[in-house]
Amino acid sequence: MPRKSAGLLIAALVALAGGLAACGSSGGSGGTASSSNVLKVWWYEGPGSAYQVAWDQAITDFKKQHPGVTVQFSLKSFNQMQQNASMILNSSDVPDVMEYNKGDATTGLLSKQGLLTDLTPEAAKYGWDKLLSPNLQVTARYNTKGVMGSGDWYGVSDYAEYLTVYYNKSLFAKYGVQVPTTTAQLTEVMAKFAKAGVTPFANAGNDYMAMQYLYEMELSQSTPQNVQNYERYTGSVNFHDAAWTNAVNTFQDWVKKGYIAKDSVGLTATQAGNDFETGKNPMLMSGSWWAGTFESEIKNFGWGTFLWPGNTLNAGSGGNLFVVPKNAANKQLAYEFINDTLQPDVQKLLANNGAVPVTASITGVTNPLNVQLIQNFQTLANDNGLAYYPDWPTPSFYNTLLAQTQDLMNGANASGVLSTLQTDYDQYVSSLG
Amino acid sequence: MSAQPADHRLPRHRLARNRGPAAWLTLTAIVIVAVVILIPFALIALNAFKPPAEYSAHGPLSFPDGFSTGGIQTFWDTTDFGRALWNSIMISGSVCVLAVLLSILNAYALGIGRVKGRTWILGAFLIANFLPQEGLVYPLYDLAKQFGLYDTQLSVIIIFTVIQAAFGTYLLSSVLSSFPTELLEAARMDGAGRGRILWRVVVPVSRPTIGVLLVFFFIWTWNEFFLPLVFLISNQNQTVPVALGTLQGQHIMNPLTTSGAALLGVFPTIIFFLIFQRTLTRGVTVGAIR
Amino acid sequence: MQRRKSGPRVRNTGTRGAGSGAGARTAPYLPYLLPATVLFTVVIAIPLVMNVYTSFTNWTGVGPRQWAGLANYRQLIHDSEFWASMWHSLALVAAMAVIPTVVGLLVAAALFDVIAKRFSPRVASVLRACIYLPQVLPIIVAAIVWGWILDPQYGALNVALRDIGLGFLAHDLLGDPNTALLTVMAVLVWFQLGYPVVIFMAALQRTDPALGEAAEIDGASWRQRLWRVTVPQIRPEIYVVLLTCTVASLRAFGWIYALTSGGPGVATQVPSYYSYQSFFTNLDVGYGSAIATVMTLIILAVSVVFLWLQRRHAG
Repeated sequence: MPRKSAGLLIAALVALAGGLAACGSSGGSGGTASSSNVLKVWWYEGPGSAYQVAWDQAITDFKKQHPGVTVQFSLKSFNQMQQNASMILNSSDVPDVMEYNKGDATTGLLSKQGLLTDLTPEAAKYGWDKLLSPNLQVTARYNTKGVMGSGDWYGVSDYAEYLTVYYNKSLFAKYGVQVPTTTAQLTEVMAKFAKAGVTPFANAGNDYMAMQYLYEMELSQSTPQNVQNYERYTGSVNFHDAAWTNAVNTFQDWVKKGYIAKDSVGLTATQAGNDFETGKNPMLMSGSWWAGTFESEIKNFGWGTFLWPGNTLNAGSGGNLFVVPKNAANKQLAYEFINDTLQPDVQKLLANNGAVPVTASITGVTNPLNVQLIQNFQTLANDNGLAYYPDWPTPSFYNTLLAQTQDLMNGANASGVLSTLQTDYDQYVSSLG
Repeated sequence: MSAQPADHRLPRHRLARNRGPAAWLTLTAIVIVAVVILIPFALIALNAFKPPAEYSAHGPLSFPDGFSTGGIQTFWDTTDFGRALWNSIMISGSVCVLAVLLSILNAYALGIGRVKGRTWILGAFLIANFLPQEGLVYPLYDLAKQFGLYDTQLSVIIIFTVIQAAFGTYLLSSVLSSFPTELLEAARMDGAGRGRILWRVVVPVSRPTIGVLLVFFFIWTWNEFFLPLVFLISNQNQTVPVALGTLQGQHIMNPLTTSGAALLGVFPTIIFFLIFQRTLTRGVTVGAIR
Repeated sequence: MQRRKSGPRVRNTGTRGAGSGAGARTAPYLPYLLPATVLFTVVIAIPLVMNVYTSFTNWTGVGPRQWAGLANYRQLIHDSEFWASMWHSLALVAAMAVIPTVVGLLVAAALFDVIAKRFSPRVASVLRACIYLPQVLPIIVAAIVWGWILDPQYGALNVALRDIGLGFLAHDLLGDPNTALLTVMAVLVWFQLGYPVVIFMAALQRTDPALGEAAEIDGASWRQRLWRVTVPQIRPEIYVVLLTCTVASLRAFGWIYALTSGGPGVATQVPSYYSYQSFFTNLDVGYGSAIATVMTLIILAVSVVFLWLQRRHAG
């Protein structure tokens, strides 16, 4: 029917017009407003998180200090940043300052390619190099090969994170167990729960959690030098040494004994977190990033945190970085914003909402849970106990470790798993040249 | 293709008489299938507006004892979800119309015109729909940057028009290759040129297939998350799946708000589907030459 | 109004001349192909060539590419995870193409022939909409929900099984390497079924009911009518559905990404997800391009065979 065809044609023209209008009105986000009056800030921490609360305050402070400047904030998704950062930074659509992941595969890689601004002069000028302790600076500085730990400053973290054990005080009281401080005591606690039919630890095999259990076990027998070799390629790494062998054996042993549920192999971190919140597991070993969530969501029982018993080394590091893209329009404003995130009022907000401020200060922190969280971190930082994370050394290690720990949970040969890790690790390191 | 009174015009008593036990069995079986298929949706609905405290205390399977929209409200404001909905409608709408147009043109040449080498041409076009998308990302990014189309909706519209049109060409040309030639002959004898035959004869008769294409293209484009994630960077350009992605944090994900936001994001597609369902069931019209 | 009695076979032989008629008629139709050809070259052909080129290099996604010759392909041949993923893709083809097409055909025929005619077309529409609904849901959301259903301890499925006394059937479906792939396949059938149903129901609109009635008068059973009368008439759609579903199954990484990340271990790894990981997590873009190129060649081969078969059958 002519009417129908005409209708289609009109619809098509409208669509075309709409599409062209979309092209025109959107287009590059840069270049419309006069650049010296706009600060573009991106981050991907969700609304309601400690970081969002604190960084919103930083924006407020910044606006007070710079009355003529408009701050354009955009909430991004972590996936989008991870997947497309190099493409975004290589275009003209860059923000002035953005949150980005720390590590060789992320900030290290981009700094090596010249996509990030060198912040070393600013670090000296604003005193960031004094504010961040040396072991927190490791993730902020990258050399010309993109390896962290030395070289120029390419990002600044205003918070820190580490792995800790969350425990359910009600369940502990119910089953008559105390907070363990040694490995032997931990084993006792787990055995008691297991005998009562309760799986002691929540876990997620289909996510970052399982490999972190493995790593903590490995760290129990590792040395600081080994950690440096592992994360910064300063020496060779042997996955069949005592520490790793002990780790995989202990891990499989725990799964066999039911200390970690075998059928947590397919769970995601969100499910594991929910398992802890609903009281199904009395303990969860995971990042300090859960504290804020638990504080706002757990109403039914009291909970606390303690450091993994028996370890001097513990996973942890500086938090995500704020970086300034090379193509940023307003670098000076970006530096000032970064400086604002390190001020006491913002740091206090981080602390009071469940994050660990990089200054690790507990002044003005009201909730004892947060005080404990920060103090535990301080213990680690003072004793040089921060050992980063297991998936950092190679870009593919997250996927490899995830698959291998799942295999471990399903009963694979421990030595075979170690060999696979060895091959993967060596292959990457040799490609670094 | 025949001219046939639609079946629902058959007298009712004749229909009812045919409802034997086999018919009831079939109905029951299919209803069971449909109900089972809907179970996940029930779970989403259960959790979409559940108060977070409830979820934290009792998990995803509990029946909500309250109604909470706080999470969705925050999400809506932070990501400018209204804008994302509008962008999705614009992009999906543009793509579905443009891709259908392209498909009609191509399918006419291939299915009815029987262009020489049409199997190869069809195969070449199909590659567009069949290529793994991750392989296209970096080259398309480079091209988009060259043309100044990076971070624009137009880039996404163009890309998906091509990809969807490939499928549309395939389906429509397959169907048109069995188009009743009598209709074409009759039109030609009436003196109609190729263009008129296309718009006055072929398109009206192919309405069910075109309706299918419109629905599919809209829904498929709506749910694309990978390429929009790459090309739509500014928040003002985001589509619904990209906006939903902000709920997936680095370590923690927000399942409640995701469920609620997903329901909101799914409404337009459901409405679109329901509207165009009627074209799928409308009977074929007869002798469309006017 | 003309009433046509002849079936598709009778209609087409007259004009399906493979001789001089075809060549002479071709040229005037070529301009209709022009817009698509231009767009296709820019959006598809050029990136395809660039992708193939990248597969011969080492590249992290930023900075210059480094020529590597056939190194990526050689690595691919020795990669056990890649070969495992290829096997698994066959399972996905079964789950996303074969099963949905067969079941979809039966459901569509049942809806069209039985429900719409003997109950009400509206009931048929509603049922069709319900069956199609999974296709409308974003994959991320669907995967979360399936996680809620399949959680080994507290998921809806296992809880329900235990409640009705079938607790021994409760199983960690996604976490057990022996059942993970089958579970993913089941979820994919749930997702994909609506697509063939919708296409086939539209296709059935095209069929000639007179043929079906004639066969019924001759005493043919419903099954015989379906196979002998209906299916030949909607053959084009069947080919389209089979081919597109097959290719979709070879391309879909969203489901694996959302449900299992290829795990446990590599039990549900598929080439498209492996390629995606190489591109964007492992930052081994050259390797990912190699996988994508291999998949493209396979898809091309499958398509050529299908199209050839389709053309032969139609003639």
